[in-house]
Amino acid sequence: MSIALNQVNKSYGGQQPVVRDVSLNIESGELFVLLGASGSGKSTLLRLIAGLLIPDSGQILLNGRDVTHLSPQERRTGFVFQNYSLFQHMTVAQNIAFGLEVKRVPKPERARRVQELLELIELPELGGRLPKQLSGGQQQRVALARALAYTPDVLLLDEPFGALDVKIRGQLRQNLREIQQRLGVTTILVTHDQDEAFELADRIGVIDKGELLEVGRADQLYRQPQHRFTATFLGRVNLIQAQRNGTHVHVGENSLPAPANTEALSGQAVELALRPEAVELSRTAEALSGHLLGSAIVESCVFAAPLERVQVRLEADGSTLEALIPPELARQLQLRPGERVFVGAGDFHLLGV
Amino acid sequence: MREITPRSWPAFALIFIVLAYALLLLGFPFVVIIQRAFSEGIAPILETFTDPDLHHALWVTFVFGSIAVSINAVFGLITAWVLVRHRFVGRGFFDALVDIPFVFATPIAGYAVILLFGRNGWFDPPFPIVFAYPAILLVEIFVALPFVTREIQPVLGALNPEYEEAAYTAGASRWMTFRRILLPEIWTALLYGVVLTFARTIGEFGAVSVVSGSMKGYTETSTIFVFRTLNDRNEIAAYSVSVLLCIISVGILLVMNGLKSRFSASSQQPKVA
Repeated sequence: MSIALNQVNKSYGGQQPVVRDVSLNIESGELFVLLGASGSGKSTLLRLIAGLLIPDSGQILLNGRDVTHLSPQERRTGFVFQNYSLFQHMTVAQNIAFGLEVKRVPKPERARRVQELLELIELPELGGRLPKQLSGGQQQRVALARALAYTPDVLLLDEPFGALDVKIRGQLRQNLREIQQRLGVTTILVTHDQDEAFELADRIGVIDKGELLEVGRADQLYRQPQHRFTATFLGRVNLIQAQRNGTHVHVGENSLPAPANTEALSGQAVELALRPEAVELSRTAEALSGHLLGSAIVESCVFAAPLERVQVRLEADGSTLEALIPPELARQLQLRPGERVFVGAGDFHLLGV
Repeated sequence: MREITPRSWPAFALIFIVLAYALLLLGFPFVVIIQRAFSEGIAPILETFTDPDLHHALWVTFVFGSIAVSINAVFGLITAWVLVRHRFVGRGFFDALVDIPFVFATPIAGYAVILLFGRNGWFDPPFPIVFAYPAILLVEIFVALPFVTREIQPVLGALNPEYEEAAYTAGASRWMTFRRILLPEIWTALLYGVVLTFARTIGEFGAVSVVSGSMKGYTETSTIFVFRTLNDRNEIAAYSVSVLLCIISVGILLVMNGLKSRFSASSQQPKVA
């Protein structure tokens, strides 16, 4: 079941648009993660797909069927809310069976399906409990089972692990991935957590201020982001002012060979995006294996398990860079604040200014 | 809540003052009415309870009280829903307006009904409203209007709309979502509102005495029956019926307390945030 959005717009009460001109295609069976900060419009987009909101303009297609103006009841989507929204007066089994009851599935079939789902979420004994008797993680699994009970065409998850602690979140992510792959249900998950996105997503869509900035695989977005927001939102990044001329990028007096596929930026001021783990430090310029960026003064050096986080200030322009280096190297270089080091760049990417 | 066991004399004095105050204002009137009712033995009481006028007055009280409760339950629920789930111009004003019956002197409400529905009134209806049953129903609906709305409003407001949305995405219609998902959450509050409404309509006197015409065997309610028999110096009848109404009120009070404890127990459960 594919999902397609064509130029979808939504604003609340004539104010600034919350979703702007979003177009997106999600393949059947894909687990797509919408990643953005809070207030970026990602949950609104999910609600538009579920039919809980109606777009101001644009079109929403589920498996080629135009559902833009259909009610949530007619869309066959399963929705999992951040706060579970389990029906408190019903048992776990009744919660899961609710959607089947609505669709008038016969009782024996309903009971069989509920048991099947309880086993899928690994809570086979807890069908008779009330939601308040379950832990947060268990409640979220029941919410997932409830959304899957009536075999929806599309599964939509709105920050499903947001209210849980880190350890349980990790376990549930794994469970979700397994269940999603086993059932092959097309899924959109909304999150602000990049680790979650990286762990789960077939593809990620980065959304900011209601705009879908770019879509791609996790490694692609991390290594070659097209937008400054993507570069800064996905992990940490050093952004260095530079100029791309001919085949090289000039940073102060030093020049580095320009990465492939950046010809379009030729002759322009650019930002060199360098991940901390690609920053190289050494006592001499000759010892660098990457390209020299210049000399710098160490500002701080702290252990950030499992690596050492070093902050240096480039002498040429006074800009600050962050490096992540193995602790053994930090010990070998004997880095202390105020000392001079040489900074090199490993893999880097260019962003238009 | 922190509870303290009284140890000092000011604490004991405070408890004594509160109990004495409650006894004087709440307990004594009840006791004195019972004492007066039984002052001439059981026979005059039994005679009062065989009076067909009293039977009719009780019938009027309970039948129109029940109709007013049913109407207020439905409209109170709708009003609470509109106030909690919808944003519209004048919502704050409308919200404040709901409490008007609480602050309005009930005879004035009665006069307003006469001015609206009486002869030469704004609506001058083709069938009699004033000094007939419809007026009794109208004022009973009016005086007890806020109870259901005010009981349901906070409970409904505390329920996240996602609760309903979860049902919609599962395919449930609005009606099914109301019946299966919302109603079980708000029913205690609804019942509490209904009981309060009923208690209020049974005890209503001011507005009913203005609009009903107080016609014996026709528009006379039980409180008007008490008033008339007192005026007729038939004190045993007045006190006997008063005792009956008091017993009903205490019964309602017990039901309410039962619901209240159930209500607070359920509101302590973690609700959907």
